[in-house]
Amino acid sequence: MSEIRKCVVWDLDNTLWNGVCIEGDVQVRPGVRRAIEELDRRGILHSIASRSVEEVAREVLKQHDLDGFFVVPKINWLPKPTNIIAISKDLGLPFEAMAFIDDDRFEREQVSYMLPEVMTIEAQRAEGLPLMPPFIPLEITSEAGSRRQFYQEEQKRKKAESTFPNREAFLDSCRIRLVLRPLTEEDIPRVLELMSRTHQLNTTGEVLSREDLLRILRGESGQTTAVVADLTDRFGNYGTIGVALTDTGPTSWTLRYLAISCRVLGRGIERAFLVSLLSWARNLGFSQISAFFRDTGRNREMRVLYQMMGFRRGGGSQDKGTMAFDARTIDAISGPPWVDVRCDFF
Amino acid sequence: MDRLIETTLWKYLRENCLPQNCEVVYTDDENLFDAGILDSAGILTFVCFIEEGFNLKIPDEDLLPEYFSSVASIAAYIRANTANPSITTMPGA
Repeated sequence: MSEIRKCVVWDLDNTLWNGVCIEGDVQVRPGVRRAIEELDRRGILHSIASRSVEEVAREVLKQHDLDGFFVVPKINWLPKPTNIIAISKDLGLPFEAMAFIDDDRFEREQVSYMLPEVMTIEAQRAEGLPLMPPFIPLEITSEAGSRRQFYQEEQKRKKAESTFPNREAFLDSCRIRLVLRPLTEEDIPRVLELMSRTHQLNTTGEVLSREDLLRILRGESGQTTAVVADLTDRFGNYGTIGVALTDTGPTSWTLRYLAISCRVLGRGIERAFLVSLLSWARNLGFSQISAFFRDTGRNREMRVLYQMMGFRRGGGSQDKGTMAFDARTIDAISGPPWVDVRCDFF
Repeated sequence: MDRLIETTLWKYLRENCLPQNCEVVYTDDENLFDAGILDSAGILTFVCFIEEGFNLKIPDEDLLPEYFSSVASIAAYIRANTANPSITTMPGA
């Protein structure tokens, strides 16, 4: 089975274009531009790992109006695996989500040997990328096309951060706003995408279908409610970055599912989202508040989040290894002061 | 008291979680989450560093606010859970 790839790392000479750019004229290979544009539209990122002179290569990309498509390009003389590791770190993407395309068999073999999770592709196949299953996401959402822009804004954010005396001052200056609102039908493609793409900040790994979500919307799923969260800051708009499902009983309120895009890690969003949901439950008067967690092998962050927010392992076993965590001290917890939370429904 | 543990923890936080030119002097009691220094992902990388550096295994059940909110509480946890912290190999030493 092929994993969905979220980033293609390109070699330049004789891969993206014919010829060697520091030796003279080059021509972008036919079909390559279309492939790049199409993958970009689907929310797949492009980066570069190429041995060359950075200024020259960047100039050629600019001349061909391709420079805007690439995030965190690495044009230098370092080994390609080293550059791919750096790209993976910069973008926060695991190797299983990356592909590398190069005409040189040595380079491809080297990457396969050092980083076996990275998919390697022969340069000849570049124009066919949009037809390969690893580049065909299940859902293409409005967020997908702006994913590149997000990473480009993220680089600006990182640059801006270095001018502040401390992190809190920087975060305060970002004007981070989180809006919580009920799920609507238009949100469904994005929510399905979040559920399938989000692994780290995902409390149970539960994946619902479009029909499941429609049932919740129509109120046909008992006491289940779905909430989505949108995020903006002074650098741009992240769109919908989180989803929560809650189940209510006569006196109990359970956070059945919580997923947040890992693109927004590092600014306390997960804490702000959780605290707001808990305040909501408390304001509704529920006395037993708990949350589900299932260890998926990749979501330790969420367990830590619950524990650090005062949840403790509760009694009562759930199906499929799901644990219940009970909230003990809701009154004492607060969200990060630099996140301005707006709630549409409480 | 020997401050080697606290110094090691701050060195990590300064290098990994704070802006490069951070001039603020934090106290050991600073809540690392409230100060925006750590979040739920940041704490896990930090825990990895502590496990390796101090040769400790920290079970998930111990990742609680009473132990992991501040440098002071983390240092106390490390002292309580290492047999002889004075001979522990310091990271980067």
